[in-house]
Amino acid sequence: MIKLKNYSVSDILNNIDFEFEPGKKYVIMGSNGIGKSTLLHSIMGRPDLVTSGDITFMGSDISDLPTDQRARLGLFLAFQNPTSIPGLSNFQMLKQAMKMKGADIGENLRKFKEHSSKLKLPSDWDKRNVNYDASGGEKKKNELIQLQMLSKKVAMLDEPDSGLDVDGIKSLINTLNEWHNDHNTLIVVTHYEKLIEGIAPDTVLVLKKDEIVSGDQTLASTIFSKGFDSV
Amino acid sequence: MSLENFGSDIYKEGFVTELESETFPVGLNEDIVRRISSLKNEPSWMLDFRLKAFKRWQQMPEPDWSELEYIPVNYQELSYYSSPKIRDKDDIPQEILDTFEKLGVPLHERDALLGIETDKKSDNIIPTVAVDAVFDSVSVATTFKAELEKHGVIFCSISEAVQTHPELVKKYLGTVVPYTDNYFATLNSAVFSDGTFCYIPKGVRCPMELNTYFRINARNTGQFERTLIIAEDDSYVSYLEGCTAPAYDENTLHAAVVELVAHDRAEIKYSTVQNWYPGDENGVGGVYNFVTKRAMCKGKNSKVSWTQVETGSAVTWKYPSCILKGEGSIGEFYSVAVTKGKQQADTGTKMIHLGKNTKSTIISKGISFGNSTNTYRGSVKINPGATNATNYTKCDSLMLQDSRALTLPYIKSNNSTAKVEHEASAGKISEEQMYYLATRGFDEDDAMNLVVNGFCKDVFQKLPLEFAAEANKLLNVTLEGAVG
Repeated sequence: MIKLKNYSVSDILNNIDFEFEPGKKYVIMGSNGIGKSTLLHSIMGRPDLVTSGDITFMGSDISDLPTDQRARLGLFLAFQNPTSIPGLSNFQMLKQAMKMKGADIGENLRKFKEHSSKLKLPSDWDKRNVNYDASGGEKKKNELIQLQMLSKKVAMLDEPDSGLDVDGIKSLINTLNEWHNDHNTLIVVTHYEKLIEGIAPDTVLVLKKDEIVSGDQTLASTIFSKGFDSV
Repeated sequence: MSLENFGSDIYKEGFVTELESETFPVGLNEDIVRRISSLKNEPSWMLDFRLKAFKRWQQMPEPDWSELEYIPVNYQELSYYSSPKIRDKDDIPQEILDTFEKLGVPLHERDALLGIETDKKSDNIIPTVAVDAVFDSVSVATTFKAELEKHGVIFCSISEAVQTHPELVKKYLGTVVPYTDNYFATLNSAVFSDGTFCYIPKGVRCPMELNTYFRINARNTGQFERTLIIAEDDSYVSYLEGCTAPAYDENTLHAAVVELVAHDRAEIKYSTVQNWYPGDENGVGGVYNFVTKRAMCKGKNSKVSWTQVETGSAVTWKYPSCILKGEGSIGEFYSVAVTKGKQQADTGTKMIHLGKNTKSTIISKGISFGNSTNTYRGSVKINPGATNATNYTKCDSLMLQDSRALTLPYIKSNNSTAKVEHEASAGKISEEQMYYLATRGFDEDDAMNLVVNGFCKDVFQKLPLEFAAEANKLLNVTLEGAVG
């Protein structure tokens, strides 16, 4: 799905060779400041990040594509700290992003409300704006609604658990597992053991200075018991 | 950032209509004033009003206190009257009908029945909008007059009102904006050509929105409209105005005067979408929009709301204001002003609190691009008699590229019970917002539209539905290619 070859980002990540495959779930771990978020944002094409090496998405070179085009190809990133746009309600954002028209609007609003009620968001969540009176956890849940509504091939989530309550973590795990299928790719950055257990990733990646260590879920268990230096 | 697509090609209303017209030679003197008056067959009191104003104007210095820098108007090189040749009112030249059709202004009553299938019988249908169309110096058509008359509402050109309702015009003209008021209002009082007159009788809720569309077509002419709206006790009216002009290389002067009078518990909602030609990307041409708009909230608990979306004009200099005289009267000002290229705007409002328990709200959103200058200038004045007056002011500006935004609020309170609040913010569109929207698939233009529309939302919400859609569209066209 996404193939990185000899891929470097600014002065933060160097010479990464890795392929994220369709139908697979990945968890990315690593100590603070090592570049986990940077990796996700560089895949998304954030304009201030300078990259070198190759990055392909479904076989095509995307290194020159701006963020919006990468998004339209099927990449999605749930932010660690979602930005909100004043004056735009949570549903309007999706309405615009999906260019909904006519009857689609009602049907999508129904879906939106279904998702938001599952996530235990307030009943008028569609009309609210994440800018105002939304807690950190609610903002993260809103990103999950976006993921479910927008049809995407790759979901990258940057610490989606932070700020979520116990029930929120459960619905996060359910949401991600429901979303994932044989054709799409899930990539989650997290430090949270329960979330990793819930997702049951095929691969755990540990970002280290100048190298990437990959393994199965036992790699995560080792880190939780012995720390990053043990791997 | 590039401004490649930016310029007059985006101004889709910049076309010229070729037609026979009667245009005065350039120059201004007493004879010209007399000729305008006689062409309109005016009674002597009207001519006297004009002549007094003209005398006064000749002695006035042109004001220069604004933040604006522009090539001065040579008043002797302008023509003060231009009228398309119309034999009679029912025989509007096809070119004019085509012009308004191209601009989307419905001059046929049937077309104005928005959203209603035309093959149905329209006897019992109440239209949503009545239109007065002003082409250069004359009103060429007013729709739904008969329907409005059934409710006692008078909606016609001011020239016609001088003939048909002289007592009303005489009673109110110049009472809110006296002929001595300011340089441009005084000039207007001397040479005003046409404009709209509305009268809403006691207890009547005007059954449709009243819309005046101003079109400048002739080159090198000044346009001086005069609008007068009177709302009697317990009445309500929503009035809309729109305007466009061809893309000429010369500057065109537009100096209008608008006077509103609201009696006891009456409400006037006045909305403007101003889209005069802004000049090209080098600042050549464009309309000078020097307008005096003022409302007198005369009666108890009367209310006037000004809502404006300003995207056009090379230079804008205006402050739609409210004099809150009646006890408990309310004045509101909601404004979005967008400047780009070399445009300059010095605009805002004045809220003058005279009566007890009067209340005013000012929400101003300024957006500037390119090398433009966008100034908010507002004045809130609480007079000693205005016990318990309250004002809330919020001015936000959004800047891009090398543009300049200024906020100049003046507040003067002479009553210790008054409550005045002022909030202001200035900022640039954040890269963070643009990036976030990009991750959700929005290209740069769409992302900019979303951010700007969100920024303007408080004001757009105040516009009548149809107008809000138009304002939105206009804003999107204005933003097209403004970032790159």
